[in-house]
Amino acid sequence: MANNTNLPRRIIKETQRLLSEPAPGISASPSEDNMRYFNVMILGPTQSPYEGGVFKLELFLPEEYPMAAPKVRFLTKIYHPNIDKLGRICLDILKDKWSPALQIRTVLLSIQALLSAPNPDDPLSENIAKHWKTNEAEAVETAKEWTRLYASGA
Amino acid sequence: MDSEDDMMDANDVESVDDDFYSGEMDADCYSDDYGDYDDDVDEDDDDDSGPDYDFMAEAADDSDVVAARSQLSYTVLKEEDIRQRQEDDITKVSTVLSIPREAACILLRRYNWSVSKVHDEWFADEEAVRKSVGLLDGPVVRFSDAELVCGICFDTLPRDRIASAACGHPFCKQCWSGYISTTINDGPGCLTLKCPDPSCQAAVGQDMVNALTSSEDREKYARYLRRSYIEDNRKTKWCPAPGCEYAVDFVAGGGNFDVACLCSYSFCWNCTEEAHRPVDCGTVEKWILKNSAESENMNWILANSKPCPKCKRPIEKNQGCMHMTCTPPCKFEFCWLCLGAWSDHGERTGGFYACNRYEAAKQEGVYDEAERRREMAKNSLEKYTHYYERWASNQSSRQKALSDLHQMQTVHLEKLSDIHCTPESQLKFITEAWLQIVECRRVLKWTYAYGYYLPEHEQAKRQFFEYLQGEAESGLERLHQCAEKELQQFLTAEGPSKEFDDFRTKLAGLTSVTKNYFENLVRALENGLADVDSHAACSKGTSAKVTGICKARATKGKGNGKSGGSSRNGDD
Ligand SMILES: [Zn+2]
Ligand SMILES: [Zn+2]
Ligand SMILES: [Zn+2]
Ligand SMILES: [Zn+2]
Ligand SMILES: [Zn+2]
Ligand SMILES: [Zn+2]
Repeated sequence: MANNTNLPRRIIKETQRLLSEPAPGISASPSEDNMRYFNVMILGPTQSPYEGGVFKLELFLPEEYPMAAPKVRFLTKIYHPNIDKLGRICLDILKDKWSPALQIRTVLLSIQALLSAPNPDDPLSENIAKHWKTNEAEAVETAKEWTRLYASGA
Repeated sequence: MDSEDDMMDANDVESVDDDFYSGEMDADCYSDDYGDYDDDVDEDDDDDSGPDYDFMAEAADDSDVVAARSQLSYTVLKEEDIRQRQEDDITKVSTVLSIPREAACILLRRYNWSVSKVHDEWFADEEAVRKSVGLLDGPVVRFSDAELVCGICFDTLPRDRIASAACGHPFCKQCWSGYISTTINDGPGCLTLKCPDPSCQAAVGQDMVNALTSSEDREKYARYLRRSYIEDNRKTKWCPAPGCEYAVDFVAGGGNFDVACLCSYSFCWNCTEEAHRPVDCGTVEKWILKNSAESENMNWILANSKPCPKCKRPIEKNQGCMHMTCTPPCKFEFCWLCLGAWSDHGERTGGFYACNRYEAAKQEGVYDEAERRREMAKNSLEKYTHYYERWASNQSSRQKALSDLHQMQTVHLEKLSDIHCTPESQLKFITEAWLQIVECRRVLKWTYAYGYYLPEHEQAKRQFFEYLQGEAESGLERLHQCAEKELQQFLTAEGPSKEFDDFRTKLAGLTSVTKNYFENLVRALENGLADVDSHAACSKGTSAKVTGICKARATKGKGNGKSGGSSRNGDD
């Protein structure tokens, strides 16, 4: 824990709360050697194409946090119009709508909500968004398929 | 030196006209226009108006539209003026709406700094306006505890270390400072700063910025606010000259967008390119785009030396006028633009100034398709080269004239005043000549962009245009040469002389005549060359041409003048 000596109290408090009262379907724990790096797991929400899947993410708190947003990315492959091949997420609060009064918890809850409600009108992945808009049923099938293939068990 | 330009008989003003028009014209035609130019030269002591301005004001004599142009349609604002105006507007809104200064500021920014718009919207639906900018009526949360938890650092702190926007959401002062500073460093978005609570829309105004941040951040914020006052306001723009911090407040109307900043840069308020009257913004945009596309091909044109057409030695152009004289022993005098003998450009030889004209290479005989294409490609580049070179030469000539003018004002006038025992106030004719040269070079330059886009098939218009342009250009060359070269001898003279008085008459006369030529040119272009018909009707022969224009001009003053807009007829 050598580089964690100057960890702001806010990050320590947030971490403690994340561990003691985890949000339903979400777990986040800091890495042993870097308290700003979190291993995250989000369960696919019920009644979404991702139901039954376990999605791994990484979350990093930059030096400027909480004045700057955390950096979050999916590690598990996922078929979703707002998430690209590299796992990057299109979510306003991670960009211009970030506020220092938001927290890791609120960010992860927003990502979980994004899995329940894909938004193909503000896409990150053009192809998937197009698929979603032209043939939603088929796109949902693909998403389910990918969930089975890549997000089961882990 | 002046032997070649002896069209000016120094003491006989009337002969100016006769010489210029090859004696073919009816002298009455011009008497109205030229009769009073003596007075113009002597009495125009409006020193501080820029060259552009003067030019327009003088053009104002014969139509309402033109007259409207001569009125100041803009104001140049210095930093202090900007600050003052902004402060006045904020105070006005704050007083009328009975709201704090910073709230007035937020409202004004929201409605692009239009005081009347703020008033209208506010009194129409105050609640909606408040909501749209986050001006709350009162707090949405209230706390009675002595200590509060900061929503950013989560520390529990005594009240005096906590601050809130109107909503009441508590954040410690240190976190506020970090939050505001981060936003300010992200750019002008800081002017719409909101409470950090993600569910809250409460506005954060300048009062909080000033209370909670460093002086550096406060200054940055104030700068953004001032910038917004100019940039978000439809009536104002920054002067585009590099390093200039003045802004221009423009009042619409008159159809002319030329604006002269106090820094001496003239620009078009509409498109913010340099001033380009009488050519319209669309043509200028096309031309500039074309130039950047062709810039690699055209670099050679900007070169400052050309081989002398006679002895082939490279001759450097270090003067403003286009009349070149090769170094001894050759001493060949030629035109920088067309490389023809300068004697062909003079009036005395019967030569007709025509190096402004472009004539496509004749396509005679039978061409096969490939040959025809090659020929056309060559022609199109040739045509562009022709216009570009003249455009660029006038540009650099204008630059040279500007620095000569400066030199004149700072050094030479004083010297001349000493040598010729004349007060500097009586040497104004020299400054006026240079101002005229600077302005004419600018106009002439843009007429080459105009000429490039004037459709080939509009034969009559092209002819009319080239005639006017040629007359103006030839007049300008004489004026420029006189101001540049003939003046030299008086700078090194021993003392006062009769010749200096002659020189005064000649230069003042040339200034006035050239001004008239350019006024005609500008008027004709702004009129879309609409007078071409009356021109064509009587231009069967070269000699009739002059009479034709003469008539066209005479008509203008009465009827046509009123309809003169700045738009070129849109045939592209
Ligand atoms: Zn708030
Ligand atoms: Zn705090
Ligand atoms: Zn300026
Ligand atoms: Zn313009
Ligand atoms: Zn030579
Ligand atoms: Zn020439």
